[in-house]
Amino acid sequence: MTELDYVPTICPYCGTGCGIYLVIKDGAIVGVEPWKEHPVNEGKNCPKGRNAYQFIYGEGRLEKPLIKENGSFKEATWDEALGLIADKLKGADPSSVGFLNSGRTTNEDLYVLQKFARCVMKTNNMDNSSRFCHSTTVPALLSTVGAGVMETSTISIEKADCIILAGVNIHETYPLIGRRVEGAKEKGAKVIVIDPRKTVTARIYADIFLRLNPATDIALLNGLMKIIIEEGLEDKEFIERKTSGFEELKSYISKLDMSELEQISGISRDLMKEAAQAYAKAERGCIIFNAGIAQHAQGVGNIQLLADLTLLTGNQGKPGTGVNPLRGHINGEGFGDMGTVPVFYPGFVPVSEAAANKFGDLWGVEGLPADPGIGYMDMVEKCSILYIMGTNPMMSAPDITRVKGLLENKDLVVVQDLFMTETAKLADIILPAQTWAEEAGTVTETDRRVQFMNKAVEAKGEAKPDWMPFCELAKLMGYEDKFTFGSAEEIFEEIRKVIPTYTGISYERLKKAGGIQWPCPTEDHPGTDTMFADGKFKTPDGLGHFQVVEHKPPAEPVDDEYPYALATGRVLFQYHTGVMSRRTERLNYEVPSAFVELNPEDAKKEEIADGEEVIVKSRRGEIRPAAKVTEAVPKGMLFIPWHFAECAANVLTGPSAGPPSKMPEYKYVAVTIEKGGK
Amino acid sequence: MVKGDMYLAQASDEAILKRGESGGAVTALLKFALDSGVVDAVLGVKKRDGNNRYDAVLDLITDPEKVIDCTGSLHCVSLNIARNVKEYLDGAKQMRIAVPCKPCDARAIIEIAKRKQINRDNLLLVGLNCTGTLPPVVAKEMLISEYEVDPKEVVMEDIEGRELIISLADGTKIAKDLLELETKGYGRRDNCRRCNVNIPTMADIACGKWGVKEGEKKTFTEVCSDKGAEFMDNAIKTGVIKVEQPDKDAMAERKRKDREAIELSNKCEAEDLKELRELSLDDRLAYWLHQFDRCIKCFSCRDACPICYCKKCFLEPDRGYVKGGEVPPDRMFHLTRLVHDGDSCVNCGQCQDACPAEIPLTRLYLMLNIKLSPMFDYVSGMDIEQKPPLIAAKDEEASIDDINLFLAKGEVSEVVP
Repeated sequence: MTELDYVPTICPYCGTGCGIYLVIKDGAIVGVEPWKEHPVNEGKNCPKGRNAYQFIYGEGRLEKPLIKENGSFKEATWDEALGLIADKLKGADPSSVGFLNSGRTTNEDLYVLQKFARCVMKTNNMDNSSRFCHSTTVPALLSTVGAGVMETSTISIEKADCIILAGVNIHETYPLIGRRVEGAKEKGAKVIVIDPRKTVTARIYADIFLRLNPATDIALLNGLMKIIIEEGLEDKEFIERKTSGFEELKSYISKLDMSELEQISGISRDLMKEAAQAYAKAERGCIIFNAGIAQHAQGVGNIQLLADLTLLTGNQGKPGTGVNPLRGHINGEGFGDMGTVPVFYPGFVPVSEAAANKFGDLWGVEGLPADPGIGYMDMVEKCSILYIMGTNPMMSAPDITRVKGLLENKDLVVVQDLFMTETAKLADIILPAQTWAEEAGTVTETDRRVQFMNKAVEAKGEAKPDWMPFCELAKLMGYEDKFTFGSAEEIFEEIRKVIPTYTGISYERLKKAGGIQWPCPTEDHPGTDTMFADGKFKTPDGLGHFQVVEHKPPAEPVDDEYPYALATGRVLFQYHTGVMSRRTERLNYEVPSAFVELNPEDAKKEEIADGEEVIVKSRRGEIRPAAKVTEAVPKGMLFIPWHFAECAANVLTGPSAGPPSKMPEYKYVAVTIEKGGK
Repeated sequence: MVKGDMYLAQASDEAILKRGESGGAVTALLKFALDSGVVDAVLGVKKRDGNNRYDAVLDLITDPEKVIDCTGSLHCVSLNIARNVKEYLDGAKQMRIAVPCKPCDARAIIEIAKRKQINRDNLLLVGLNCTGTLPPVVAKEMLISEYEVDPKEVVMEDIEGRELIISLADGTKIAKDLLELETKGYGRRDNCRRCNVNIPTMADIACGKWGVKEGEKKTFTEVCSDKGAEFMDNAIKTGVIKVEQPDKDAMAERKRKDREAIELSNKCEAEDLKELRELSLDDRLAYWLHQFDRCIKCFSCRDACPICYCKKCFLEPDRGYVKGGEVPPDRMFHLTRLVHDGDSCVNCGQCQDACPAEIPLTRLYLMLNIKLSPMFDYVSGMDIEQKPPLIAAKDEEASIDDINLFLAKGEVSEVVP
């Protein structure tokens, strides 16, 4: 007799955290059905969510550990593979080992990874793939409002009466958050879109479209603030009571020449005025931003100015206000909470002697590392041993030709993942991991929403949950008693103890559709829809700090040799490095291969016809996508989605910001484009 | 016993009688269907986590003792039963299933059975009266802000005339004007407002509480098919339900309530479609094309449609009609769907529920259906023998040479485009 089961869980793709029901028939997932009670998406899903499970049965699933011998992989037992890894790790210098990870895995996985790195390997060398999307966000928001998180809940966006979408093609990349923008619009909200590309978001949502020149956000945002201050539209009471540094900002802004700002940004002062007035006069102004703002050499400055705008106008502390980063990964908030980054222990405790002692006491381990570790690309360059969990630098890192050379010359590369990714191919040892539907665990979405992902089916082959190999390695390395976790729930119980914002959350409470938003300090606390509702920011003095930021050119400006500014990005039907989405038939039907968008005038100039193969070249390398001639990109700009391994946009990228973010400038790379020829 | 017979029924079993909302007749009948081997399984609707009234899943029950877990009606749950039978239970081709269902579920099952994706003969449709369901997230907001109660305290919802009545654990009942709630954005799902099929006479039996006196634990049951007659006959003979004949007043009362509900739906329909109807045809087209601009081509509407049936969908990029990768897709995406299914839409609302772009699809389909229905003398989902006009051809039509017909004469083909 057929057995049919419906398992509520969370879509594994972006940081929205939509609910879905998986349909399980006789032990296998056969479909996705709407979870109408889920408050984030109310039974609605995007193309990825609707087909979320298909890749689990996709080609090339890793089912057994693999060890590379003489250039080819041989199947091995877990004991063999872990034994080899433990032997290498045992004598290793802590500074020579690095752990790369991603928000694709659960909080429990990430928590155990960082605990292993810190307790067993005594290193803070760990970083998350979000280095490439929001490494500018955290320092920018820490310096202004004291917390690098989304302030409002996505649901409360509907309460806003003016929304600025800054560098986010929300309709394609976060459709179910876009739905909230539409909801606000229905109720009369004005929407301002800031983007050099005329995206579908600009076309359908924008009341005011600020189509700025690439990499000129600072000039535009300073212009908006100049108008607000000149017209006296700032929130004087808010500034007086809740901020510091306004006089410095005002003094700097007053000296700026409006004509120059117009000229740099390409936005007329009249249009700036319209936008500035709409936002400053709003009851609830909401700024939502993503990679278009963050993936710049000046990304920290861009985001500081967005925060300045909220402080200037008092658009803070209420549902549907604030400055709000959107996270690309399902666990895009949780990885930071868990402290799988070089500069924070769990709960965003900055790495220091005191932090090392505190966590040493909590975990009962001595000698935890007290100095910050190194970041993603520094590890790829400098560490001789890399443990890579659920991240794919051979697709997502800048200048991947160089990355390949570096990975090929390591003492040991361990890759723990679902599939034979581009990165896994370069590994010495591969460990098979379980997918989101095979292991239980929690994820924390963009609006601090902690949700439970149910185990729906048994794992393929010998794949293990991502946290488990670390416990087994700890055992081999003499730390068994610190890693006695028998289940994801046991790990979560420790997370609750260690991270105060999670203390009130339990697996039992997470059965509720929509989970709980942190901070949630106690079991009777309902969770927190909106940050800073008590009028205090998370800065040491509780005030919002204005930052003065000066416009600077991009890291690699266009020139005669490389005259086009390339931006990379995502499309609706694919996702990140393609590992999951490209193993999904329905999505591949839509967008199966790479393309480059270019303006019709440029196409004419370069004698390129729509659909033909072209060569796009940067100082790092070249790729051959198909041309897509469209008005969506302005003259002089190109756009390439980065999901396609055979035509990987990150062959071209490279120049990055300096510390602290070291963000690659994915939204501005100097390139050439020419006919492919044959 | 014959089609058209009516009874007031209640469960004989004390436990079922006690737990059932209206005397447990439906639960007793479903259990009997399993016990007696009339079906292999019952496809019940079960609350998630035992007591969550706002979320439920389908439960394929084979153990008769477990049928009782599915008692009671859940107004905030609208599962896509026909799709699930078609998609995940092989269209009931390999097993016989008793399906408790609302009118739209029963109608969808009949429509997809016409397209040979469900074997109607293997289903025992136990129809349940319905005057609308509520979207759960909005319903909970409504309970908090309008009724000022904790949604967890609610033990029953009911739509009675123009009122939405909720009952709390302590016996308190709170009634509010349904249409007033709906002007505030609360109340029933958009499609339910305009639905005028309340008693599922297209099922094998139709059960409800209209015609039952206030306070009486009984279910008004109408026999609607030969299969239903035989089943009821056996159930009564076996003694699993106790029945009595409803008197004239009871029957009149049931009719009156049905009429009242239909009048309400007509009023809502007139209100909801007024603005659209007043638009010129050009403006109306412009309105819909503008709505389609928000589409993200998730295919949720197609996937949710319980009567969608093609093995290879015309809308997939490889078919060459709608180009891949475009957001929004070519407008033919929606127009093709409309032409394909418009004649047979049963207004179940599943497409609109699933649409992330909030396109009011049920209004589009209903407006077309209202035009087509008298034109072809066709009401979707009522009679399995009546073929859908847009995909079935009459003999004289099928003999026209230059019409590209995919269908065999007078019958829906299994080889579909």
